[in-house]
Amino acid sequence: MEALKVSPGFEKILPQEYQELVEDGPYGRGLAVKDLGTFKEVIEEHPLCAGCGLGLAIRLILASLPDPGNTIIVGTTGCNSIVMPQVAIHNIHALFGNQSSVASGLKRALRLRYPDKTKDVVVIAGDGGVADIGLAPTMHSWFRRENITTIMLDNEGYSNTGGQESGMTRQGVVVNMAPVGKKFPKIPLHEIAKAAGCAYVATVTPARARRLGQMAKRAILIARDIGPTYVQIFCPCSTNYKFPPSETLKRAKETEITEYMSPEAQEFIEKIEKESQSRGGKE
Amino acid sequence: MLERKVVSPEYMFFEAPREKKYLIGNEAVAEAVKRANVDMVISYPITPQSEATHIVGDIYAQGYVKDYYRGEDEFNVMSAMAGAAMGGVRAFTATSGPGTLRAFEMFPCWAGERLPIVCAFMTRGVNSPLTIQPDNIEIGWLADTGMLIFHAEDPQDFFDMILQAYVIAEQPDVHLPVGVCADGFFVTHTREIVELTPEDEMLPPYDPSVSPVVTMDMETVPVRHMKDPFVMKSNYISYNTHASWQQEVRAAAERARKYITRYMGSPVEVVHPGAEILFMASGTAAAQARVAMERMRAEGIDIGLVKIKVIRPFPEKEITELAEVPRIIIIPEHNITGWLARDIKSRVNNNAKIYGGPRVFGGMTMPPEMLVEETKKLLLNLVTA
Amino acid sequence: MSTLLGFPKNGYKVVPGPETYLSPSAAAMGVVLPNEGEALIEGDIVPEEVAYEEIANRLLSARNPTLFPGPLVLWAWSEKAVAKARALLEMVGEVPGMKIIPMPDYRPKYPMINPKVEINPNHPNLTIWHNNIDVCVFVGVHCHFANLALKIIRAGTDCYTIALCGQRGHEDAMITLRDVHAEEVMDLTDTIRKVKMERLSC
Repeated sequence: MEALKVSPGFEKILPQEYQELVEDGPYGRGLAVKDLGTFKEVIEEHPLCAGCGLGLAIRLILASLPDPGNTIIVGTTGCNSIVMPQVAIHNIHALFGNQSSVASGLKRALRLRYPDKTKDVVVIAGDGGVADIGLAPTMHSWFRRENITTIMLDNEGYSNTGGQESGMTRQGVVVNMAPVGKKFPKIPLHEIAKAAGCAYVATVTPARARRLGQMAKRAILIARDIGPTYVQIFCPCSTNYKFPPSETLKRAKETEITEYMSPEAQEFIEKIEKESQSRGGKE
Repeated sequence: MLERKVVSPEYMFFEAPREKKYLIGNEAVAEAVKRANVDMVISYPITPQSEATHIVGDIYAQGYVKDYYRGEDEFNVMSAMAGAAMGGVRAFTATSGPGTLRAFEMFPCWAGERLPIVCAFMTRGVNSPLTIQPDNIEIGWLADTGMLIFHAEDPQDFFDMILQAYVIAEQPDVHLPVGVCADGFFVTHTREIVELTPEDEMLPPYDPSVSPVVTMDMETVPVRHMKDPFVMKSNYISYNTHASWQQEVRAAAERARKYITRYMGSPVEVVHPGAEILFMASGTAAAQARVAMERMRAEGIDIGLVKIKVIRPFPEKEITELAEVPRIIIIPEHNITGWLARDIKSRVNNNAKIYGGPRVFGGMTMPPEMLVEETKKLLLNLVTA
Repeated sequence: MSTLLGFPKNGYKVVPGPETYLSPSAAAMGVVLPNEGEALIEGDIVPEEVAYEEIANRLLSARNPTLFPGPLVLWAWSEKAVAKARALLEMVGEVPGMKIIPMPDYRPKYPMINPKVEINPNHPNLTIWHNNIDVCVFVGVHCHFANLALKIIRAGTDCYTIALCGQRGHEDAMITLRDVHAEEVMDLTDTIRKVKMERLSC
């Protein structure tokens, strides 16, 4: 990757984390979740709470990008966005809720500038950002069949602003701004995504690390040529739901793992995964 | 689509032959977009703007623009424009009144992100009650976003200013969004002679490699980059960084002055600068004041006109100097708040001689007769006082 | 126009600080960028050659001169970048005791910066203070971030700032050259060699 070669003579003056990234980063190596611990990750130290399900999910997603050297992430305000400045992949925070429209403009711009290259544009945002304030642009990016992957980190509330109810909070739960319990059910966004035109829809949890990695990778590959994709990751928040950080993964397992592919997406995935296996490749 | 060639901005603006066409303002916008070598246009319907982006849609279909779509609402259109500009392409959109307000959160964001987007604002009154009629109250709000703001008097200005806007916006030391404003209907739907540059000549393409900020393509260094990086820890360093960032956005607008002079001649146009009475006006109000001025001069009243083409960066030096001479300055406006009068009054030393008005709004026209009558009444009042 | 009150209306000088609680941007104080062939010294337009000499003098007189190479030269993302980086290393070699501290990216460093090994545009003063840098050279930093850093340094430190800009220059530096690419860096190195010889023969 050109952007991560050091100019001759400057190798030794770079801070340690960059020297490691240059020598042992994931770019262009086709790595996956199972390789974690054997390479320099793109993420540096971050300020998320102990036991944050979302922090783990981000780490797993970043380790599963099919082509991290050609990926641009678009996020929005929320806990996830305070991790992103430390990530060695171009990423955007514009405003709260506009991630899918920023991503639409970006994806189209990169297609114009790099007609012979694939640039993966991946939206990673929280449940408030995707299902509440950003619902219209999220769904419109699906209706328009933008070649974008949307990954929701669902911690069932607005955690970064102090634990308020979101559309993804479960019915009956008492949190800030739902003082007598949430009065309507969790938004079935993964069902809506199918109707809205997503070629691939999955629900998963960081407690199933390799499955999450596989789903993130499939979603990004399908988004390249077939159509929009959506992955919803349940990431329990111990800070606002007030459970011990050590219980995060146990609670994360409570969610259902689902995977939907359009016939076209299914055919595509079977083909490329068969090719990959015959090459003795990674997941 | 015609075979086209790239020409320099200097050639296009000052040397290229011009062909006269009878166009409404919205058609002139599309002609400018065609010559501006725009990569991407994102549209959303709102009166009185819609027609401009319909016609831009047509030139996209002909191949003059590389990508085009209708977005879901103005906020998301402006967001997608940001995404396009961050990805390194030249982008255009247009909106009006309520659309401007719907999108508003993005305008300071564009400026802070240092994105050289050009957006046309075909100004219109805002609710409630509902109106689709001309009123430029939104320019006063846009003026404090950090964007550069130009105000067109007629379709010719609208055509020229959109082209000039791209060239000024994309200077590496400026690199800011530009709002090119024109009063809805009065300019957008009025047919006038517009002198166009040749259809087969276009501006050079946008070069993101000279941007003062990082283009988000994973080709530009550094790769460990968030646009824009958070500076929100609760400490002096973070506050100071944010303050300095805001100052740098305003500094970039200051740097634009050099290019405004180079490509637009001057941020103001002055007619009879030594006159005893001066109209200072922008947009359609300047057009109407021009007519009123001529009528009064024919009657022997010593009156001149300063047309303010650039609202931001405000032509402070020019206006304070021009304000020294006259005894009376009259500022007619197409809005209720009097944002232009506020701008001028706050900068001129002896501002007791400045009269902010007459103002019309909500779609009302500003007949030159009314300007003449109001000016005469003012003079009479001053004499009797 | 300044956002503070304690500055004269005209004749603002871009000189080492510590200046004030929140420094104005020099552009807001009326300092304009140089045209081709020109440079800025402390806010005044001068012929480029004058600035080359002044930079050489400042660097050779410095107690602790330091180069701050930014991402645009640290990373070999183009042939031009590599050529410029080579030229810069040669320049550093001509200035006795000149150090290099990189600015590899622009993120506010979390959880905290190690000011000994890097500089960051959001809090560049920390690196200047920690290393007692009296003269520094910015190069290869995207202009927006260079301006941010240069203004913060002027506000809080007494460091003399020099910006070698590949574009139009930086009002917020005490000396700025514009259009600086590999060739211009080599010219600057030649000037440094020449001034060094002159000093030796004195």
